[in-house]
Amino acid sequence: MITFIIRRLITAVFLLLVVSVITFAIFFLIPRLAGQNANELAAQYVGRNPTPAAIQQMVERLGLDQPLPVQYWHFLKGLVAGENYSAGPSVTYCPPPCFGYSFRSQLAVWPQMVSALPVTVSLALGAAILWLLGGVSIGVLSALRRGSIFDRFSMGVALAGVSLPIFFTGLISLELFSYKWPLFPNVQYVNIAVNPLLWARNLVLPWVTLAFLYAALYARLTRAGMLETMNEDYIRTARAKGLRERSVVVKHGLRAALTPILTIFGMDLGLLLGGAILTESTFSLPGLGQFTVLAIQNQDFPEIMGVVMLAAFFIVIANMLVDILYAAIDPRVRIS
Amino acid sequence: MTSMRRRKSLAISAGAAVAAVLLAACGGGATSSTGATSPTGGSTGGSTGGTTGNAVANAGVTGIANPSDHKGGTLTFASSSTPDSLDGGNEYYAWTLNFNRLYETPLLTYKSTTGGAGTQMVPGIATALGQVSPDGLTWTYHIKKGLKYEDGSAVTAGDVKYAVERTYDRGVLANGPSYFPQLLADPTYKGPYKDPNGDLTSITVPDPYTIQFHLVAPFPDFDYVVGAFGQTAPVPKAKDTGAKYELHPMSTGPYMFQSYQVNKQAVLVKNPNWTQNEDTEARQNVDKVILTLNVNADDIDNRLISGDLDVDSAGSGVQAAARAKVLGNPSLLRNSDNGFGNREWFIYLDSKVAPLTNVACRQAIEYAANKTDLQTAYGGPVAGGDIASTLLLPGMGGYSAFDLYNAKSQPTGDTTDAKKALTTCGQPNGFTTGLAYRSDRPKEVAGAQALQQALKAVGINVQLHGYPAGNYYGNFAGAPTFMHKNNIGIAFGGWAPDWPDGYGMMWALTSGNSIVPTGNANIGELNDPAVNKLFKDVANPKLTLDQRSAIYGQIDKLSMQQAVILPEVYAKVLIYRPPTLTNVYIDPAWGMYNYAVLGKSS
Amino acid sequence: MTDPTNPLVMTDSVSLASRLLLQVSDLRVQFATDDGVVKAVDGVSFSLERGRTLGIVGESGSGKSVTSMAIMGLHSGKNTTITGQIRLDGEDLVSASRERVRALRGAKMAMIFQDPLTSLHPYYSVGHQIMEAYRVHNKVTKQVARKRAVDMLGRVGIPNPAVRVDDYPHQFSGGMRQRAMIAMALSCDPGLLIADEPTTALDVTVQAQILDLIVDLQDEFGSAVIIITHDLGVVAEISDQILVMYAGRAVEGGPATGVFGQPGHPYAWGLLGSMPRLDIDRVDRLKPIPGTPPSLINVPSGCPFHPRCGYRDEVGGDRCATEVPLLREIAPAHVAACHLTSDQQRSTWARLSEPVSDLPETKAGSLLASSDPANEVQS
Repeated sequence: MITFIIRRLITAVFLLLVVSVITFAIFFLIPRLAGQNANELAAQYVGRNPTPAAIQQMVERLGLDQPLPVQYWHFLKGLVAGENYSAGPSVTYCPPPCFGYSFRSQLAVWPQMVSALPVTVSLALGAAILWLLGGVSIGVLSALRRGSIFDRFSMGVALAGVSLPIFFTGLISLELFSYKWPLFPNVQYVNIAVNPLLWARNLVLPWVTLAFLYAALYARLTRAGMLETMNEDYIRTARAKGLRERSVVVKHGLRAALTPILTIFGMDLGLLLGGAILTESTFSLPGLGQFTVLAIQNQDFPEIMGVVMLAAFFIVIANMLVDILYAAIDPRVRIS
Repeated sequence: MTSMRRRKSLAISAGAAVAAVLLAACGGGATSSTGATSPTGGSTGGSTGGTTGNAVANAGVTGIANPSDHKGGTLTFASSSTPDSLDGGNEYYAWTLNFNRLYETPLLTYKSTTGGAGTQMVPGIATALGQVSPDGLTWTYHIKKGLKYEDGSAVTAGDVKYAVERTYDRGVLANGPSYFPQLLADPTYKGPYKDPNGDLTSITVPDPYTIQFHLVAPFPDFDYVVGAFGQTAPVPKAKDTGAKYELHPMSTGPYMFQSYQVNKQAVLVKNPNWTQNEDTEARQNVDKVILTLNVNADDIDNRLISGDLDVDSAGSGVQAAARAKVLGNPSLLRNSDNGFGNREWFIYLDSKVAPLTNVACRQAIEYAANKTDLQTAYGGPVAGGDIASTLLLPGMGGYSAFDLYNAKSQPTGDTTDAKKALTTCGQPNGFTTGLAYRSDRPKEVAGAQALQQALKAVGINVQLHGYPAGNYYGNFAGAPTFMHKNNIGIAFGGWAPDWPDGYGMMWALTSGNSIVPTGNANIGELNDPAVNKLFKDVANPKLTLDQRSAIYGQIDKLSMQQAVILPEVYAKVLIYRPPTLTNVYIDPAWGMYNYAVLGKSS
Repeated sequence: MTDPTNPLVMTDSVSLASRLLLQVSDLRVQFATDDGVVKAVDGVSFSLERGRTLGIVGESGSGKSVTSMAIMGLHSGKNTTITGQIRLDGEDLVSASRERVRALRGAKMAMIFQDPLTSLHPYYSVGHQIMEAYRVHNKVTKQVARKRAVDMLGRVGIPNPAVRVDDYPHQFSGGMRQRAMIAMALSCDPGLLIADEPTTALDVTVQAQILDLIVDLQDEFGSAVIIITHDLGVVAEISDQILVMYAGRAVEGGPATGVFGQPGHPYAWGLLGSMPRLDIDRVDRLKPIPGTPPSLINVPSGCPFHPRCGYRDEVGGDRCATEVPLLREIAPAHVAACHLTSDQQRSTWARLSEPVSDLPETKAGSLLASSDPANEVQS
């Protein structure tokens, strides 16, 4: 088990390196190949009507005049060993993992991501609980009552849930429950440490909106999984033993049907922790997703790199946890 | 050419986000500080604005809406985007400069009043407007005695000098304007961070309450340079933290920072060391000011209407969805203002791209354009603006409502005169040229198509070339060699003046000296000796304000005769104000509400 | 192993009834499908005494598995209709409540299945699954149940049961898995054990061990056993009674000696012809029945076997295609449903069981090989 984790972590580091190289290349190499020079790149980060001297200062500050491998090396060095940085009268040390300083605001990237993280975690975990409970139970009931009105209705809603984009369902829910019937007025993120009740109240709409999409997906997956599982021989055995139907469904059917869903759940959660971009934009939640949008809009390379790396990290970790969990659930899966 | 007021639509921030990762290669960000004056990109269509019969109440345009001396309450602002900075020395957006006056006070500032007088400079921390030496090269300001920062320490002239010095480090404070390095004598100075022992010798401080600026050439608008931005707001050297200073700028205004979480929220509370007597242009009406950042643009409008929010800080007006709601509802209209947004949208005609090298060919385009369709593209009369025929904005010194190309008398296009002009140009059957526009701005897309259609009627074929807004001025329309090489004679653009006079509006657009290889704003490449001479004349320190205004009027006419710019609209904004917001009026200096004097009635 | 009573003839005799454990009469199981009503079991009757073994044989789709599932009450689909009577210890299971049947399941009647790997839940240890079966019907602690599981594993011949009880099914070999299944089925000491193709999925060497185990345990526990298979070799070894099913009906039945020694139905001849025999040359062992099993939606008129039967001419006319043959006693306690006369049956079988075979022309495909899973009717 330990060797498994170590091996996976080494793979993860390698993967993150590859991701960083690709991100770096997309941002710097491709525009350079397309003919953009350092001054044109730097001009984006200087205010309107920049003098050539101002652009030159920005080029030097950002190190854009250095060869690309050197720039990449600086990035890596900062990430692993930290770096000294001056954006004012004094030099400050940016400890690892130092994702550098925003091209635009000259502020350190990592603390900003750290402060955005709780928002995304609050959103993702809350929604995950909702969709897992909702989606799975609807899926199970649908499968057990295949062809019933409940099945048809819930699968119809699920199809809508999968098809409707979040910025549509989100805006509708805001319009209805925040403005028309102000059950949840003035939705904005409140730190859980400041006011847990307000934190929860203000997250209800984002949770439900996000969960609606995933619950729909999970209901369909669970239904399909249950239909398949309930035809397995071991279900017949369980019934032949005289087990009550509830045990047959929950203990024998659901447990087997949930395993693949758990895998997908881990990946989904990992992805979401990297930023629920649409939900955060719709509900104005200052999480990693919004941070990502801003980073891209601002062409802020260190921020883009930061969120890409963090998102990749979450996905890798989620993947690993899923594998470990899978082994715990399914004794046939061996970890050596 | 910055986006002084920005709005991002949900669609852009949401849908384009993923694609933008890949577009990063092309520098395709939605906004950029080198981008030109930005449209209110949030609205998805232009046609909804002009179709109403209801009148906007405009209490905040014609006078002050809800005047009140009521004290107390919390004033809440929300922005759909990130500010360029909250550090006065690093700001260029109109709304951040406007907001800045709540906590920082430059030497001079705009007069807080309705009507045209609102564009005048009045003392901020200085005792009076600048005293200029007879040769026009030295400007002297005296600082009010007894002024204190929020921590009770004294404000000195040295702090003002330091505040200007630090803006020289464009690697750290990148966003502000470049007037000081351009106007003052030692351009090689790198700022106090890189050069701690250096000294900006062109600013002298003869005593702690006097500061002098030494210019290389006369510049009559220097009062605007020190007053229209936040760069002369004093910064105590001991408290300067460079890029981090925006997290807590030392307040000299009615409010001071309690907290600022980047990308999230700033909370301001009363500054105990501020006195109304020393600062006549700001008010301390409320107890607290909260600025929430990166709020969904449509949600901002909903919150305004529901009363959860007081001000959309961008000041660019409501989105298309809320616009329809407001215009269709008399009770909402009562609390709305539809005023000029201190901006003009126009189309450049490049005088260095054949056959537009011939002025008659440019004039043919001026005549042929369907101004009504262009107005509709920008949102119609309410959200778009009034059809324009000059460069100067209405109300600016020297403005006269001349109409060389019948924009107002024949708003759907004057094909007769256009064809005549084509004949004069030697292209009686028309010609072909390219047209550049920002493809991620729906209004410009609609405008480009409208112009293409109108020009086709007189035989001018236009090929559309869409570019990303982020690099539009850096790599495309603002790069003359690119325009020449690709035979692009027409480019969409817009301008909001750095300060509301003829220089701020027209110098960058029409002076031959303003043409630069990248980030060019004089895309028409007008290098007309007469215009250049007038810009030189207007700098004469002996001229009175009226005399200068007369010259700006001449420059406007000359430039329009040269037909390097086809005016579209004088931009207007439709702003909704909750009924509890007091002392509200559209400040002509900003084209949005004056944030320094707002209050709450409950 | 002869039995004087005819298992297929219903009796109301009190003395007989007290020895009877299972009595199935006129059982009909129908599935409503989109294509029509599938008559999977169509009027089958038989009975079984305590401690005895009944072998049900037939091709796939003949209704033998559906019959056993009906006894266990495992047909739950709402498209399934079951009529007739299934009396277990005198109690009718068809009309009993679902809950009552569930309570009997595992306790008084148990079942083991063809593929022990898929029949065991992969996520639970073998011991856990046995304990679960025991604890449904016995209110005991986990410790007691675990002891029972270890005990049962030992009795079915799992070495070192106290350790292997915590193993998972994938850690067992195929034969051990089936032993574990048997341990689970017998954990509650049921009066009736139904073994549905218990050896089909196992290696040949293991098959005999499992059959021996079933026989040994039957003696030990005194259970009645229904063994369902298409492999006549299996039933020949251990059955007291044989029931031959075709197209959802019983076509022949009686004591094993009778059915094997003097079968009366041409279908039984075909089945026996497919059976490995030591006295016939290896080449001639496989004597397949031509054709494929009939559709259970549109069962052929008359004798359902007639399209595949090579002896229609001997009956004469089109009687086989028009008249349904009834079960008729052809020997004491031995019945068959065929229009051939007893003489014809005897003489034909005598000829067929000669060492040199001259069966009618056959088409390709043996009975064994023609077990098309698609024709297997399961709910």
